[in-house]
Amino acid sequence: MRRLIENRFGLLALVLVALGALYGVAFVSRPAPAAQVRPQAVKAPVESVTAVCPAPSGSRVSVVTPADQQQNRGQGSATLSAIKAPEEKSGGKADVIDRPGLLWQREIAPGGGPLVVDATGSMAAGLESAQTARETSGAQRGLAGVRCVEPGAESWFVGPGPAAAEMTLYLANPDSAPANVSFMVYSGEGPVLSERGNGVVVKPGQHRVIRLRDLAPSPLIMALQVSTRSGRVAAAVKAVLGEGRGVDWLPVATAPATRVVVPGIPGTAGQRELYVATPGDRDTVVRIRAALEDGSYALKNKETIEVPAGSAASLDLSTGIGGQPAALVLESDVPIVAGLKITGTGTRQDVAFTAGAASVDLGSVVADGRAEGKQTSWLVLSAPFAAATVEVRLVPSKGAAPAPVEVKLPAGRTKELRLAPPKGSKGGFSVVVRPMPGSGPVYGGRALDETAKDGQLVTAQPLAMARTWALVPPTVDSPGAVLP
Amino acid sequence: MHSVTAIVVAHDGARWLKETLAAVLRQTRPLDRVVGVDNGSRDGSAKLLTEAFGSGNVLTLPRSTGFGEAVHEVLRRLPPAPGQEWVWLLHDDCAPDTQALQALLWAAEQDPKAAILGPKLRDWLDRRVLLEMGVTVSRSGRRDTGLEPREYDQGQHDGIADVLSVSTAGMLIRRDVWDELSGLDTALPLFRDDLDLCWRARTAGHRVLNVSDAVAWHAEASARRRRRIATSEEHPRRLDRRNGLFVLMANLPFGALVRSVLRNVLASMLRALLFLLAKQPANALDELAALGSVIGHPLRLRRARKARKNGRKQGWPAIRRKLTPPGAALRRLTDMVQGFLAGAGPVDSAGRHHAAADRAQEDDGDELLTDAGGVQRVFSSPGVVLCLILVVLTLAAERTLLPGLLSSDGHLGGGALVPVTGGASDLWRLYIEDHHAAGLGSQTWAPPYVAVLAGLSAVALGKTWLAVAVVLLGCVPLAGISAYAATKRMISYTPARVWLAATYALLPVATGAVAGGRLGTAIVIVLLPVYAALATRVIAGSRRAAWGFGLLLTVGTAFVPLVYVLVAILGGLAAVSFGGIRRGVRRSLVIGLGTPVVLLFPWLVQIVREPGRILLESGLHDGRLTAPRLGAESLLMLSPGGPGVPPVWATAGLIAVALAALLLRRHQMIVAIGWGVMLFGLLVAIVVSRINDAAWPGVPLAFAATGLLVAAGHQAHRIAEFRAAGGLRRLGAMLIVVVAFATPLAAAALWVARGADDPLRGDLSDPVPVLAELQSEPGEGTLLLRPRDGVVGYTLMRGRGPLIGESDLESPREATDRFTTAVAGLASGRGSTYVQTLASSGVRFVTVPGRVDPALQRALDSQPALVRVSLSETGGLWRVAGQVTVPPRPATAGALHRGWLWAQGALLVLVLILASPGARTKEPEGDYADAPAEEGPRGRRRAKEDRVPA
Repeated sequence: MRRLIENRFGLLALVLVALGALYGVAFVSRPAPAAQVRPQAVKAPVESVTAVCPAPSGSRVSVVTPADQQQNRGQGSATLSAIKAPEEKSGGKADVIDRPGLLWQREIAPGGGPLVVDATGSMAAGLESAQTARETSGAQRGLAGVRCVEPGAESWFVGPGPAAAEMTLYLANPDSAPANVSFMVYSGEGPVLSERGNGVVVKPGQHRVIRLRDLAPSPLIMALQVSTRSGRVAAAVKAVLGEGRGVDWLPVATAPATRVVVPGIPGTAGQRELYVATPGDRDTVVRIRAALEDGSYALKNKETIEVPAGSAASLDLSTGIGGQPAALVLESDVPIVAGLKITGTGTRQDVAFTAGAASVDLGSVVADGRAEGKQTSWLVLSAPFAAATVEVRLVPSKGAAPAPVEVKLPAGRTKELRLAPPKGSKGGFSVVVRPMPGSGPVYGGRALDETAKDGQLVTAQPLAMARTWALVPPTVDSPGAVLP
Repeated sequence: MHSVTAIVVAHDGARWLKETLAAVLRQTRPLDRVVGVDNGSRDGSAKLLTEAFGSGNVLTLPRSTGFGEAVHEVLRRLPPAPGQEWVWLLHDDCAPDTQALQALLWAAEQDPKAAILGPKLRDWLDRRVLLEMGVTVSRSGRRDTGLEPREYDQGQHDGIADVLSVSTAGMLIRRDVWDELSGLDTALPLFRDDLDLCWRARTAGHRVLNVSDAVAWHAEASARRRRRIATSEEHPRRLDRRNGLFVLMANLPFGALVRSVLRNVLASMLRALLFLLAKQPANALDELAALGSVIGHPLRLRRARKARKNGRKQGWPAIRRKLTPPGAALRRLTDMVQGFLAGAGPVDSAGRHHAAADRAQEDDGDELLTDAGGVQRVFSSPGVVLCLILVVLTLAAERTLLPGLLSSDGHLGGGALVPVTGGASDLWRLYIEDHHAAGLGSQTWAPPYVAVLAGLSAVALGKTWLAVAVVLLGCVPLAGISAYAATKRMISYTPARVWLAATYALLPVATGAVAGGRLGTAIVIVLLPVYAALATRVIAGSRRAAWGFGLLLTVGTAFVPLVYVLVAILGGLAAVSFGGIRRGVRRSLVIGLGTPVVLLFPWLVQIVREPGRILLESGLHDGRLTAPRLGAESLLMLSPGGPGVPPVWATAGLIAVALAALLLRRHQMIVAIGWGVMLFGLLVAIVVSRINDAAWPGVPLAFAATGLLVAAGHQAHRIAEFRAAGGLRRLGAMLIVVVAFATPLAAAALWVARGADDPLRGDLSDPVPVLAELQSEPGEGTLLLRPRDGVVGYTLMRGRGPLIGESDLESPREATDRFTTAVAGLASGRGSTYVQTLASSGVRFVTVPGRVDPALQRALDSQPALVRVSLSETGGLWRVAGQVTVPPRPATAGALHRGWLWAQGALLVLVLILASPGARTKEPEGDYADAPAEEGPRGRRRAKEDRVPA
């Protein structure tokens, strides 16, 4: 020991040994690379939903909440009532629905304002409601259906302009806070700035009907942005093209995105007209691909459409996709919104609209399906990016539900299903669409047509994601949240 | 014709008496009569006097006789001489020059009105040092010689000066004047009797002259307590003060007296307070006792005033001119502050005599503090140059941080640091309040580092951001300065200190602490060299250093509890190794290690209850700020991982040099200790980084690096030897220098290239949106949601962003769970009454900063009870539409907390007083070989002994 200490290298050797030992300890105790466990959001049923049917007078209102076989949860009910301010006593009589799994339908007498569907508990998870009007004559001749939408902060509508049709905007505010609504119209010539356009305040429980001609009289085609600076509003737009030319509601289009899928184009004959608008300040060329029954490809001579900055453009796709069920995939460098007009056949035409829609990852519900008389319901499903398997289930208003059907969708294809209710059941039915696990994004739409002597009546709606489930994210109280 | 009688009064002064007597007898103007008086000396003074003057000329008086009494006694017995008779008073410790008397008499002849003359007094030992050339007094009774402390006599004050008074040592006084004034007042046996006599002489129309041609050397033996005073039982300090006041009050006319009483009462209180702060309670007591004894005996004062009544008022204007001008008090105050900074006592003892005003030795780091030597000297100091270089490096590295910070709306934050908002008062309130309304409410006592930060913010004019920015962003230069200053006593070779300081300041731990926003580590890095420097003095047994060490360790522990564990283990080892060597080491160690425990007690109890928190430091604990799988090589290379650390190889040079230091055989002990600290720190770092993923091993690695640097730096002076040796050794020395400096240079280059930011940023916005802040009622909160990696993090802010330290508060478990469920429900968008739950906790606004995730936006938009206020690229804001109830403040019984806060404050003040530099009388004066070293406590004991009548 003494010699070790007195040696010049003794201390160095000791230190090196100690360092080596520490290195060894640190090396051995180094933890194995832990797999990054991404915390999973928990699926939880939605507990309350409010939807507004914009103008149900003279229409059939359908409300359905698909039954949940997996778990039978507690009580819940949906209330249909006329829109009213929160402090008002419930004036008119309210319809109460408390049985999930059954379709509720009622013809609403003409007159009266919007209906508010307020669901809580078991009736809320997946509640879907729609209004469909059917007129066989007059300026309003045709089938005109629209989903009853939840109030929101922003809605886009794409379709013909006030110069081509009588466009009416319905606003309703079922909330307890006033909504400060502003509008922006993008026409074929660019954005239309109206002096009167901005700053409509819709008080709680109020509803407004606005003729778009007053805002912007000239556009032939348009994209309409309804946004609120504060509060929420349920918006819907009805297009009346005129005597013998059809009527329908514009479905809500997805917010501007660089890739938009316009699904749910039925395989019936007739004109198809695409509307694309770009709200940004850059011109763009939108590439168009169609997912058809036999594959996905660009349409000949209609590969692209040029859209100037801040304006809308239209393109007739009748020769490309007419007569075949389709979904359109639009891609652009700048965010766009898109919609499509479907025209029925016959001497007196009817129109229907579909629009850019989101995929139905957690399933979708269509409230109003009919197969009475000469009415036919079609379900158009597309899997434009990856193969998917979809379970389709019908929920009749009376009687037992038939067994669900499984539909396989190859990648880039579209399939059209004719929805037939089980034999013996009467009245309408609802459709529940649920992609199976492992499926690619699924888009779809439901079309409804009725063959009449003087021309086909049509209406359509893209599938919207059902509000059945909500993803409850893992939440943590962390003061570090204040840091980016 | 003059006749001069010399009277030498001796009292235990044999040490000086011989020389004095010889000088008296060797005068060029022979003395007519010499008389020796011995006041009962016990050291053979009487024999010396007899030998010199003959037994007939020596008078022996009792031991308690004062100087004045003795002279009176002699003159009473001595018949008047013919002609103009002069009496020359001499102390036993005052040796006049051979020509002193001649010069005095010559001056007396020049001025017929001159009745009292005094020589120029110089120091006995350092014979060139001027002691007195006439004395005056200030209005507060302070004796004033008008000279600088330790001023050398270069003839700068020479000439015959009309002064207020001269000392009795060497005083030549006309006997008729003595009789007229009835001589020295016997009520003043010691101190200020001279002043009193001269004052009276001047009042009577005589002149008092100081003659610089006459020189005498004076030992001031009584004033310097070189001998015991037998005339009074009291301590000379108190006696001096009392007599000073007494003479002043006895001689002042009435109006001036009233002012003087007022002034002196106030001044004495103040001085007593300062003495207390300087840990000199005996001085404080003396001060007050002196005042009390003067004021408390009005009859005595009245008698004295009555005796001095004649001509007092008429003579006052002439006297007033001779008093110390009032501005001198201010100048003395500035001197005092300077002296305090230099480590001297806050009050020097009443200007008694010069010996007391000796300047203390220079303190550590003085070259950085006192920059009086002009610009050139400052900039040629290596420490200043190093500091400037580090500051420039820091500014370059923090180029992206500073602009945002200096703009009006940027907040410093990121990493472990919440955006710094609020001011010192907010932090202070957070520290002392019993119930914290922040977040969901908490009853936890705020951690003590909040108080430290509040104090720092108060120093920074209440701006917390400034304090945090200086400490955190300036941590590199501050660490450099602290390392450079702290090694002054340890390493004498300046280039080695520069290298050590630069390497230390640019350690991976330092740059990592800046980038990670780790305020605690930044403070500890700056304090660590100070710990090391103080620890060497604690081990040497210094009590004051131990208090300072304890105080600074408290600060470090408050931010990083692990520091205490590290220091305590090392301190325990030190106690085992050094405890037996020196007296008081153990006690000093107990003080140093016990102070943090006492000052932080309740908080430490919390920490001990949750031992995992020992490894964590103040601020946010985020797994992204650490490297969970930190490699063994990183740890060995002192790299703690996480953001802001340079590549592993950057510190290779340091390790290599420290290993090389092991090869040198001289002073191997220090190197071994340094390496021991390094290995210990490394072991702790490994343990820390392996136990807890959120813990950052920065502080243990800083410890390890400190040990390593001391080991290497201590041997660095050998480089100079090697270089001088030439040849291969010279080459080796060059190589070692290159390797050694590679580390700081590489670290600096990498730091500047990478930048000091990320995740720390200087341009963060206030987490509470302006709209929410404006529209919230007091108490209403803003819920902030931030989805990150699939998890929605949230925090509830009430009117303002979270303060530093609020992240350590704990809310009641139940309330937190309920709230977390509600937030999850809100973020899911499933509806229900979650918003109402939030509203019942006082949430008025929901804000999502940054680009809002579409799913979250949908979820929030789908809530009927939430109204969207704004949505843009910079964030979204929603308002709760319905009723919001602010949770009421619970009635808290905070008596315990209050009590503890007061106790903590009192303890802190006590420790501060004990740790702050008091009077440095303890420095041995050295000049007087015979003088016993007067250390603080022992000196005080000696003072008590002095009072015991001998």
